[in-house]
Amino acid sequence: MPSVRDIKRRIRSIENTGQVTNAMALIAASKMARAQNAVQSSRPYEEKITSVVTSLSAQVSGGENSHPLLEEREVTKIGLVVIGPDRGLCGGLISNLNRNVASFINGVEHEIIPIAVGRKSRDVLSRCGLNPENSFSDLGDRIEKSDTEPISKLLMEQYESREIDTMYVAYSKFVSTTTQEPVVEKIIPLQVDESHSGGTSDYIYEPSTEMVLGGLIPRYVDMKVFHAVQEAIASELSARMVAMRNATDNAKSLGDDLTVVMNKLRQDSITNELLDLVGGQAALEQ
Amino acid sequence: MSSGKIIQIIGTVVDVEFPSDELPNLFDALEVENSGETLVLEVQQHIGNNWVRCLALGTTDGLARGTEVANTGAKVTVPVGEATLGRLFDVTGTPLDGLGPVEAETSSPIHRDPPAFEDQNTSVEVLETGIKVFDLITPFPKGGKVGAYGGAGVGKTVVIQELIRNIGAEHQGVSVFAGVGERSREGNDLWHEMQESGVLDSTVLVFGQMNETPGVRARIGLTGLTMAEYFRDERNQDVLLFVDNIYRYILAGMEVSALLGRMPSAVGYQPTLGTEMGALQERITSTKNGSITSFQAIYVPADDYTDPGIVTTFGHLDAVVSLERSLAAQALFPAVDPLASFARILEPNVVGEEHYNTARGVQQVLQRYKDLQDIIAILGIEELSDEDKQVVFRARKIQRFLTQPFFVGEQFTGVPGKYVPVKETVRGFAEILEGKHDDLPEQAFYMVGTIDEAVEKAKQMNG
Repeated sequence: MPSVRDIKRRIRSIENTGQVTNAMALIAASKMARAQNAVQSSRPYEEKITSVVTSLSAQVSGGENSHPLLEEREVTKIGLVVIGPDRGLCGGLISNLNRNVASFINGVEHEIIPIAVGRKSRDVLSRCGLNPENSFSDLGDRIEKSDTEPISKLLMEQYESREIDTMYVAYSKFVSTTTQEPVVEKIIPLQVDESHSGGTSDYIYEPSTEMVLGGLIPRYVDMKVFHAVQEAIASELSARMVAMRNATDNAKSLGDDLTVVMNKLRQDSITNELLDLVGGQAALEQ
Repeated sequence: MSSGKIIQIIGTVVDVEFPSDELPNLFDALEVENSGETLVLEVQQHIGNNWVRCLALGTTDGLARGTEVANTGAKVTVPVGEATLGRLFDVTGTPLDGLGPVEAETSSPIHRDPPAFEDQNTSVEVLETGIKVFDLITPFPKGGKVGAYGGAGVGKTVVIQELIRNIGAEHQGVSVFAGVGERSREGNDLWHEMQESGVLDSTVLVFGQMNETPGVRARIGLTGLTMAEYFRDERNQDVLLFVDNIYRYILAGMEVSALLGRMPSAVGYQPTLGTEMGALQERITSTKNGSITSFQAIYVPADDYTDPGIVTTFGHLDAVVSLERSLAAQALFPAVDPLASFARILEPNVVGEEHYNTARGVQQVLQRYKDLQDIIAILGIEELSDEDKQVVFRARKIQRFLTQPFFVGEQFTGVPGKYVPVKETVRGFAEILEGKHDDLPEQAFYMVGTIDEAVEKAKQMNG
């Protein structure tokens, strides 16, 4: 049976934990609003550039002087960017991402050349048995385009030098404050489907479709990576806020339960001492 | 012999007046006729006025003041020796099994001195129990004292009975079972089981159960012990002594303490708590001639291990097995808490380097799991580092592997009991600690014998 002092110490430690998690929840909440705004306002541009580039590439498809990123080749090596948080304490976010990445990796037979963005995604990759040669971290939670450009530049270089034959990006897509969906998206080669092939053929491009596409493609990769990081940040902060709020609630209820136990113990010992006193007194009076 | 007259009867305590030159000695037995039966009174105090204060070893109902009391001039003596084997006795050595009188050549007083210093045995040898958690965490010394602590309904009696079955049945020598203040039904069950299994012929049973008066419950332990001592001292045998439950002995002392005119001490216990405990425990020891290995169940009131009655017993024991309610609530039987249990002989030079390291390793993993439990409750298991997660999973497997189906529990669980040799136990836990079985499901480790059975069970579960 633990003593009152033991329980008191435990309550104090739980309360301290609760304070830390509460602070983290508040900080995450304030940052979350900004990150959610950012991701939502950049979504239309990301969708547009994707559809423009896709429809353009459908028209160009494999000309002589087309951009090197459009060159289609047999896939032997996959470039995979995994974007995750730098820190833990964000609930199931990391393990969900982990599971998704692991199932993707197990699903392909080709060699994977990974890039880790965020310290935790490094762990995710090494848990899947991959050791990322390139990793980025400490991007912060307020990113500019220039922050993610080194990543996209590295990707494009690897593609052009044939270190990789295709580009994938894995991250947690922000759906709502309570829901984040881990996804693995293909960036290059572009996926041309029916919805992108028609409709835009009316435009006349100057000086030529190839030139326009050549200029757009690097921006598209930049934007894809940038947006993925934005999604990941918004997801991380939302997940952290929810997780820390839950943790704070848990700490509070655990502390309350323990307080009840402690009070009972305290009262028990008081009762026992009183009984001893009264008993002793009664015995002396006889 | 001299005779006296009853002056006062307060419950189980009787004051008797004797002629001034014929006062009986302390602990002498007095006899008085009460409703056709002989009631034995044991002298506890000389209280002046030629009065002696006695404890009744039986009910005082119907006893009248002025009744004549005969002094036997000797302490309570009980029959000892080969004639007692296979028989069932009460506190004064009267057989209870209806098989006629006991023709013992010798008898012995129940109050004796403990063996002298120089006679005590100091060699250390491990006694295998076949129960994983005991052999690993609390190896029992041969000729030592082992206590099984636990609150109400956590399985003390089952543990003691399994030990009787595992050690008593294999044991070549004599066993003595003392039932102190426990359920009469359990005594009856035990008697019948022993008859069926054929071990009764080498066993002596003494019972002073809940239905008896405190005087009986305070002396029945001594009766059993006296019978065991005979085989140790006179026959130079190794004796097993099972006592269920030592706490009832303390409690009986507490019940009569105030009636004997002693002022209650802490938490209402008798002021002579330590002395009474010592008088019993110090006699349960091994000498150069023979040994008494004792297993004692000890009830822990309100699960409070700081209770004075409990604390006084701790120091006497070589190995302490602590049964924990929270484990029993999770159906992890035997509900032994490996962190609160300890044994004096769990040392590398006694049990060997590998056993010692495995046992400590198991404790470390479980301690770490316990430390992490608050964090898991607050943040969830996801937030633990990979090493900690591994510790948690291994700890849960170890917890399950510490369970074991009991032979005495077979009729309740339908699972046949398992006897696991120490070597197998150590190998199993060492393999779990090494991470050899990280891929098996937790449930595969539950209620199995050796580690190979766990692997087999995992295979079956996977279809």
